[in-house]
Amino acid sequence: MKLISTTFLCGALWLALITAMHGSLNLKWFAFKAPGAAAETEKFRIGFLPVTCHLTCPVTDFINQQVEGQSSFDPVRFSGWPELKEAFLSGYTPATFILAPMAMALREQGVPLKVVYLGHRDGTAMMVHKDSKIFRFEDLRGKRIAVPNRYSNQRLLIFRALKQAGMTINDVELVEMPPPDMPAALYSKAVDAVTSGEPFMGQTEIDGYGRVLYLTKDVWPNFISCVLAVHEDFIKNDRETVQRLVDGIASSGKWLDQTMEHRMDAAKFVSKNYYNQHPRLLEFVLSKPPDRVKYTNLALRKPDFEEIEALAIEAGVIQKDVIFEDYTDASFVPDDSLVQASSYEGLKGGEVPPRK
Amino acid sequence: MNRFSSIYLPLATAAIFLAIWHSMVRLSGSDLFPTPMEVVHGIRELIEKGLLLKYIVASLFRVSWGFLLAVLVGVPLGLILGWFRPAFQALNPMIQILRPISPIAWIPVAILWFGIDDTAPVFLIFLASVFPITVSSMAAVQNMQLVYLRAAQNFGVKGPQLFRRVILPAALPQIITGIRIALGIAWLVVVAAEMIAVNSGLGYLIIDARNAGKRYDLVVAGMVMIGLIGLVLDLLIRQLEKFDEVKWGYGQR
Repeated sequence: MKLISTTFLCGALWLALITAMHGSLNLKWFAFKAPGAAAETEKFRIGFLPVTCHLTCPVTDFINQQVEGQSSFDPVRFSGWPELKEAFLSGYTPATFILAPMAMALREQGVPLKVVYLGHRDGTAMMVHKDSKIFRFEDLRGKRIAVPNRYSNQRLLIFRALKQAGMTINDVELVEMPPPDMPAALYSKAVDAVTSGEPFMGQTEIDGYGRVLYLTKDVWPNFISCVLAVHEDFIKNDRETVQRLVDGIASSGKWLDQTMEHRMDAAKFVSKNYYNQHPRLLEFVLSKPPDRVKYTNLALRKPDFEEIEALAIEAGVIQKDVIFEDYTDASFVPDDSLVQASSYEGLKGGEVPPRK
Repeated sequence: MNRFSSIYLPLATAAIFLAIWHSMVRLSGSDLFPTPMEVVHGIRELIEKGLLLKYIVASLFRVSWGFLLAVLVGVPLGLILGWFRPAFQALNPMIQILRPISPIAWIPVAILWFGIDDTAPVFLIFLASVFPITVSSMAAVQNMQLVYLRAAQNFGVKGPQLFRRVILPAALPQIITGIRIALGIAWLVVVAAEMIAVNSGLGYLIIDARNAGKRYDLVVAGMVMIGLIGLVLDLLIRQLEKFDEVKWGYGQR
């Protein structure tokens, strides 16, 4: 039959062509490998989102590449919390940056994970439209607020602020929305206020339609939203690798907070190689003001988590008491003051080298 | 005149559409939603960075494999279900249950089963296109005119001969129509399929542009490229309908 044979022939040729092109353009199948190059060690993957709460993940990867020639892990960028969580559950990413209450809830539901280190402190804002008449938290009564996820600490922060303002959760309407969609939602006034990790809040400020209602550093100092979580098996089987990972994250956090030049360099190379955002976004949120988000003092401390636990129970995202010692392993960095900043000297005004 | 109506008429429609688009953006004073020119600049930027070809190839790769698997599974399955009554009775309810489930609902399952490599999007595209192909092949056999079968019986044609000489040719026009619709659906779900953290593809381009702050020009650029490639795919698959083996099955208008 002419039809069937022609179709099969064309189909087979097309498949071969498109597969070869995909292989060479996207998967680098035919990339030339130098004969002397060391065999690439098996890398493990870490999940992250393009937010400042996860900034130390790409920064560590970049510094490892610049200082040691190659990184021990492969950072995988996700676009939303559900996909990030599912990849972690399936074991595709044995380690991931994740919302602290989400990690607690997963642990409560029997997922064998351990929180090993914090991602950041502060670095969240509540933004309202600049034309709105909302100037204090109390003005949010009856308004619609977008939060990134029910497990987000931004949502818990609202519970905390409501209590301080003598209001209850019934006084505001909360909607869940992926952070990248928040600026457009605020611009079109689909919601009255948005809150998520940076740089999406700073973006509304740069573009001129957002106004800061509060920065977390002013209402909940040393706020934590994201932590580094690792599968328990991974710690059991290869403690050394996890130690090296946490050490790298800790020292690049210290490096970020060392000088403003380091932060501006990080804004450049992370924007270009990892987040694919305009560098001025990260430059803005990392410098205005400089303590908008912090990357030091990231060792796990029980009182911080107990406060989150209490709020999480109140907000209904975890059911009963989770036990700090059970869902964390603080032994990787027992004392934060001993962490040394990374020795990377920065870009020194040079171009950003491509990601390997 | 013919040339006028087949080439200039659609071009004129597109031009009017672009003009309305442009003036609507200008009138509304929105600085978030891009004008057609900004989208063209966005596409040019993608070409200069060498990303556009990469993304198109990646999307076509996933759609090609997902769709091929769907054809390889869907057509034989549909033929069997259409011919053997017990098989139809056993499997049809199951197929009708699975058919309306959106590929988006399958995303969590796909990640848990396949991780986030190319396999998961291929699986989602396969799922979206296998059911229309199966159902149309099944219906094609079931709706076959009895006169063909009776004639075949009179000539004593049986078994594999009957299938190859009578059933398949009779069902082919409707199968091709089903395949054409399924290709449209396969291409339609590419955005949803690439919402999983793959790092290439036109669907990924849209998701990535949303992450990148105020880059809605790239979002619309991705939409435009998906639309244009969809048009080309449909024109290509329409060529199948020109073969003599199936031409008889379509109306003469």
